[in-house]
Amino acid sequence: MKRQLAYFLVIFIGFLTLSGHFINYSPLNNFIDNDATQWFDIISGFAAFLGVVNLLQLHLNKISQKKDNWRYSIITLLGFLIMIFFGFIYNGSSVALGPHLKKEGSAFYWMFQNIYLPLGATMFALLAFFVASASYRAFKIRNFEATLLLISGVFLMIGRVPIGQLIPWWMSLEIYICLLFALIANRFKDKKKMLTLLTLSLLIFPILIFSLNLHDLALFKIPNLQEWIMDVPATAGSRAIMIGIALGTIAQSYRIITGREKSILGD
Amino acid sequence: MTQYIKYVLIPFLTLLFYFFFPFPLFLEGNETTFVCVIILCFIVEYFIEKAKNGDKIYMRPIAAIKAMEEAVGRATEMGKPVLYVPGISSLDQIDTISGLTILGHVAGMTAEYDAGLQVPVCVPIVMETAKETCKEAYLKKGRSDLYRNDMVHYVTDDQFAYAAGVNGIMLREKPAAVFFQGKFYAESLILAETGNSIGAIQIAGTGSSSQIPFFVTACDYTLIGEEFYAASAYLSGSPEMLGSIKGQDYVKVGCIIMIVFVFISSALNGYGIINFDVSSLFRINIIR
Repeated sequence: MKRQLAYFLVIFIGFLTLSGHFINYSPLNNFIDNDATQWFDIISGFAAFLGVVNLLQLHLNKISQKKDNWRYSIITLLGFLIMIFFGFIYNGSSVALGPHLKKEGSAFYWMFQNIYLPLGATMFALLAFFVASASYRAFKIRNFEATLLLISGVFLMIGRVPIGQLIPWWMSLEIYICLLFALIANRFKDKKKMLTLLTLSLLIFPILIFSLNLHDLALFKIPNLQEWIMDVPATAGSRAIMIGIALGTIAQSYRIITGREKSILGD
Repeated sequence: MTQYIKYVLIPFLTLLFYFFFPFPLFLEGNETTFVCVIILCFIVEYFIEKAKNGDKIYMRPIAAIKAMEEAVGRATEMGKPVLYVPGISSLDQIDTISGLTILGHVAGMTAEYDAGLQVPVCVPIVMETAKETCKEAYLKKGRSDLYRNDMVHYVTDDQFAYAAGVNGIMLREKPAAVFFQGKFYAESLILAETGNSIGAIQIAGTGSSSQIPFFVTACDYTLIGEEFYAASAYLSGSPEMLGSIKGQDYVKVGCIIMIVFVFISSALNGYGIINFDVSSLFRINIIR
């Protein structure tokens, strides 16, 4: 019975919300746009209390039973209690309790600015190192796709920095030739032959392009090329994924509001 | 065949009612959305009905879904826990709900294999839902004795504090399998790279298109786009759920045909061969 009621609520609220997008009935539209979201916030507010209780229970249990790494739980609880103390009990400034949370001079504000924010910023800054290590793995030349990724990555990086604007057309051409040879390198059995061909290409093609007066082509400006990569292939790929996501979202929502998707309730 | 006529007739009558109802019962500006929703729902319904009537449904093997059971099995063999991260968004995001539906299946696997499960959550309301999901999954597998109340636990609401907390769990407990299934933002790479550094088998899934490249780079398997939403239906194996995926695929084929059609007709319009901009029909306004 308890479960049937849960399904009924999901189905009823789901259809009600969906109909609110199409039916011109102001109480219904008002409910969908304002009341329902407020209800959600109220329920979330109650759940926040449960989260705090869960956090305390978990760490107190760890400490009392001296589970592995229980010492870290002391630090967590200390941090939690100190912020509660300075947030609810001790002010440290002339401002009233409550507004003191956002006023300079209060102990809580000081801790937020000098402990909490730098710690958050530190975690965010770690992202730079993780991006480097992830890029290294992604750019390693293992197959054709990884090579393509490397090439487009290099063009995007060069095209987005100021020095990219200064690269002359002939240097861009030399880069293209080198990258082309990097792509087809494994097709050459005789490496000496490949090196000769590469040297000849590096010498002949700039002269050829110049003599044909093609050096003004947008292709030879790396910022233009990176813009094209972002606007055409990257956008096409991401839009394909976005269409898939949109269809998946609709189908998943449909399964949920028709009561077919029951795994969220363990079925 | 006659049993399927209703899937043509009902949407047709609904659309007639919608467009020719004399009073202003329906909001203006959402017509295209309404037509698309009705068509999609009835196509999905049609394939669900076909699947229920015994039609065989072929599902393309998705490596990430197949690897889920292997990952849990590996964790069991190694005697290490499974870590399940349901993202940092609340229940108002479909990604979080999808993440929780997959959690139901993963919890079922850990119950079956007797592997440890840890679900650190960022939003308290998600914690309560995840607890219910896990409890029911263990109960359904007849292993309610293995369910512990601290399996699903709250860490913090803050994005990077949560990332730090989950990283700490990963580095201390060295889970053998890590699942990232839900809505992720900038913390995705921090989490996935840490998981990679401890040698855990990582399976990610998200609808955040900007985070997919990070997961593809750092994880062993990634559910991309609609695969993530279909995972739960795929794992359930029930004909009606699989039927809904087939219906969704047919709608995708329809979308591709429409894109090609709009492209050609827009090109013809651009060259002045036809005098009608077809793409204007598809500009929708869902927000009032």
